[in-house]
Amino acid sequence: MNEIKKTYKNYVGGKYVRSESGKTFRIELKNQFYEVPLTSRKDVRDAVVAAKKGYTEWQKLTPYNKTQVLYRLSEMVEGNSETYQQILQESGLTKSKANQDIKNAIDSLIWYAGMADKWEQMTGNLNPVAGDYFNISHQESLGVVFTLNTEENSFNQLLLSILPSLTTGCSVISFSGDNSILALKLAEDINNSDLPSGALNILSGNFSQIIDDVSNHVEINAMAIYKDLTSSDKKIIRENASKSLKRIVIKPPTSGLESLLPFIETKTVWHPKGR
Amino acid sequence: MKTWDYAESIESSAIVNIEKKYGIFLDGEFQTANSKKFLKTISPSTEEVLSSITVGNKNDIDSAVDSAKNGLKIWSKLTGTERAKYLFKLARLIQERSREFAVLESLDGGKPIKESRDFDLPQVAANFFYFAGWADKLDISWNTKGLKPYGIVGQIIPWNFPLLMLSWKVAPALATGNVVILKPAESTPLTALLFAELCQEVGLPPGVFNLVTGDGTTGAALVQHPDISKIAFTGSTAVGKYIQNETAGRDIGLTLELGGKAANIVYNDAAIDQAVEGVVNGIFFNQGHVCCAGSRLVLQEDIHDEFVSKLEKRMQSLRVGNPLDKNTDIGAINSKEQLDKISFLVNEGVSEGGTIFQTECELPANGFWFRPTLFTNAQPSYKIAREEIFGPVLTTLTFRTPEEAIDIANNTEYGLSAGIWTEKGSKILWTADRLQAGVIWANTFNKFDPSSPFGGYKESGFGREGGRHGLLSYLKVQS
Amino acid sequence: MSLTKESKNTLSWSNTVELIDNLRVDEVGLKERVASLATRSIKKDSKLQALNYIVTMCDLTTLEGEDTEGKIGQMAAKAIRPDPSNSEVPSVAAVCVYPALVAKAKEMTRNSNVKVASVSSYFPSGQAPLESKIFDTQFAIDQGADEIDIVINRKAFFEGDYRKMYDEIVALKEVCKSVHLKTILEVGELKTYENIKKASLISLAAGSDFIKTSTGKISNGSSREACYLMAKAVWDYKMVTGFKAGIKVAGGIRDSKDAIRYLVIVNEELGPEWLSPDYFRFGASSLVDDVLKQIKKLKTNAYQSSYYFPRG
Repeated sequence: MNEIKKTYKNYVGGKYVRSESGKTFRIELKNQFYEVPLTSRKDVRDAVVAAKKGYTEWQKLTPYNKTQVLYRLSEMVEGNSETYQQILQESGLTKSKANQDIKNAIDSLIWYAGMADKWEQMTGNLNPVAGDYFNISHQESLGVVFTLNTEENSFNQLLLSILPSLTTGCSVISFSGDNSILALKLAEDINNSDLPSGALNILSGNFSQIIDDVSNHVEINAMAIYKDLTSSDKKIIRENASKSLKRIVIKPPTSGLESLLPFIETKTVWHPKGR
Repeated sequence: MKTWDYAESIESSAIVNIEKKYGIFLDGEFQTANSKKFLKTISPSTEEVLSSITVGNKNDIDSAVDSAKNGLKIWSKLTGTERAKYLFKLARLIQERSREFAVLESLDGGKPIKESRDFDLPQVAANFFYFAGWADKLDISWNTKGLKPYGIVGQIIPWNFPLLMLSWKVAPALATGNVVILKPAESTPLTALLFAELCQEVGLPPGVFNLVTGDGTTGAALVQHPDISKIAFTGSTAVGKYIQNETAGRDIGLTLELGGKAANIVYNDAAIDQAVEGVVNGIFFNQGHVCCAGSRLVLQEDIHDEFVSKLEKRMQSLRVGNPLDKNTDIGAINSKEQLDKISFLVNEGVSEGGTIFQTECELPANGFWFRPTLFTNAQPSYKIAREEIFGPVLTTLTFRTPEEAIDIANNTEYGLSAGIWTEKGSKILWTADRLQAGVIWANTFNKFDPSSPFGGYKESGFGREGGRHGLLSYLKVQS
Repeated sequence: MSLTKESKNTLSWSNTVELIDNLRVDEVGLKERVASLATRSIKKDSKLQALNYIVTMCDLTTLEGEDTEGKIGQMAAKAIRPDPSNSEVPSVAAVCVYPALVAKAKEMTRNSNVKVASVSSYFPSGQAPLESKIFDTQFAIDQGADEIDIVINRKAFFEGDYRKMYDEIVALKEVCKSVHLKTILEVGELKTYENIKKASLISLAAGSDFIKTSTGKISNGSSREACYLMAKAVWDYKMVTGFKAGIKVAGGIRDSKDAIRYLVIVNEELGPEWLSPDYFRFGASSLVDDVLKQIKKLKTNAYQSSYYFPRG
């Protein structure tokens, strides 16, 4: 007989919160049931408010600080790797596959941690304009990003749906569906990390119930869809996004510099050179 | 008082040869379109009919796609260096025929010959030169693997810089290995048609550059075609939103360069005389038909009176008139429709309570004209302070502190460009960091260069044109 | 700025300090504007009008150790009647000479409108005690000079002693009284545009009627950029005091095309009321010949040779 192991909460603005609707849904793993929040429209709106604040705070950290914060997160994940491994195994992975996934996830964290203070060097440049001007293209993060996790039972994939945008300095609202236990568990490490409140928010639920609210929300600057969506869902998202020209990326790259590119804006500054 | 009037100094239009009627350009040659509909393109400075152009329909777009498919077969087999050679040749030919292009641009679009000759055409050639050189260096352009061209790219360009916008679109698209179907603006198609002749002259493989003239219905047919894998659009935010919505059901690439309502912030420690010049250039360049125009003068309150006095004096020296007169600073408004829009918004500005200053100048009897206009005593809530006017109309707002300047500057859905005027270096950088805009001109304005990325934040669109960043608008980044 | 007017055209030192405080010029923007003004296409009637302006604005100049009364005689005759073959060509504004030759110049021009200008104040270096400069200036005036062209104390300027530079001009203005005072900045030595604007404003505040670009004794004498900046200073000064000062450009302006570009700057930055010898002058020796050729060319439609025009 399975037992209810734990009731998880969303993680928004540095706090564990129930869905304001009070609704939950049940995720059944090998030995346990978990009750997890079924995110409502109102929860999305609250998450955006938190993410906006979190964005400002996350922005204030220097790239060097961001590297350290992400590295510290990797240390905590590593310290708790048994917990994640257990969830993965309960979700059906073999021990060795689960181990490998955790190892990959930690490697991903290390890679992006070390990228936080480098991506701008790799994407910006001094432009050789014809004339007596200093012209530099530097990069800024897009703002509040909603990321939709894949359906895989993979801790690494979860992180790869979060880290590219987070590393550029965006604040993230990470949304997972039936595999949300991993994300909700990650919230505990986020909470213990030095990430500013609201920089990374974790929601769980049924994406189709909030698809309109997210894609219509003007203060979500970008949506990154890592999950396979139906054509009609993609259409809904893009149609809604067009009202405020929200940036939509569907199945963006999850490795290399190119994984960060969808989340940056290029700002080019000109200045004359004279006496 | 004696005055010294400059005698007319007219650039001869004998150099251009305009056909009575134009077809569309597919498979490397001019063809009669399936559409039998034509529209007249006129000179906005005289209202004289210059030519009739085809209004391409859905069948014409289908044919253009067929042509492009054939073009892509050839183009994708060429090495980068081979593509580069074609683009270099185009650049050279544009330079050689730049006077012809400049006259045609001023005739068809109404912009002063001074600008088409000294700004548009040199920039057009520079764009082809710049992107030609990238064609064989794509693999080392970004630290990423697997950059691939989209294939067939649909491009829709506006009427404010017709040939320049063509070059911003066509040069990077071809350099990166795409083929192009271009739809120029309905009021300014002539330089694009002449460019098609150049493509023939350099022997560009058939189907690589395709041109379908027309109006909004032609553009819509292009946007809706399922075999177009990337749309690049420059124009209004409303149409940009329409395109994002219209293409929502397809996994295609999309870059949009849309409207703006740029703040030109002048701090009290600016080099005032150069700031006045920059503000004038910022809003009156190309009749204010510039998406990145500095249409909001955000002025530190303690220098308001001195600055406005100098600005009004400077505005008074602007010469409005015949675009082909070499001494004309401000030409004709591009169309009757645009003139009506400008007039409407200016009237709104007056009725909302703004103080209007317009220069005293004689306007020609025919054609579409608008006097350089400055609003003071305007409030951030006024329409003239919020909506893109796209004409020679400047609205002044004042601020007390740098924080307030930033608040005012960012208080708009647009985010294309901004200006900063101060001689204090650290204040420039502080301000630039906080402005939500893709292009920031500090102690200058309206500067462009092929190597300098251009494009907006927020509802001014997405994607960049120009520079290394501009390549990414035409390359798929594959996971 | 709330300034109290000392007299018609001077400002107290404290008001002068306020005027030059935080003075800023952006070089690239300035050059861009000047380059844009140079694209004005001046043709037909407007060109003829400009050429006539230029003749009437010329200070025919000779400032050489080898100058003699004979040389001054030739130049004065040319000043009065630059083109004997065309009576429509007006006289030039003035002849400009060293103090020792003022009397001769005055004698030669006595039956004309041509003024006699004299350089003084230890032109061209200005490296002498104020007493000597005052003596130099007084001598030129006693000899009959209508206009005095002095040089600013660049030594004081570069040492940061703007007060000394100002005081000297004030002292020399007192000597001049109603005699027209033109103050030479020597922009080629000042180099930066902020220096030029600062020196312009100090010179105006100290009572100069005109500010002038150069002595003509250094290779980079005048420039259109300097003229533009001086026009800006003249405008700023007018805004503060109401006084309308003039500008003289001298040093390296040799042809009509270049001179017309200077006129365009004055016309567009200050306005047509400055297009008069009362407010704008060219200091030149060979410019007039080119202008005369151009005038004749416009009339005859044939390019001219200088042997048609008398030596100056």
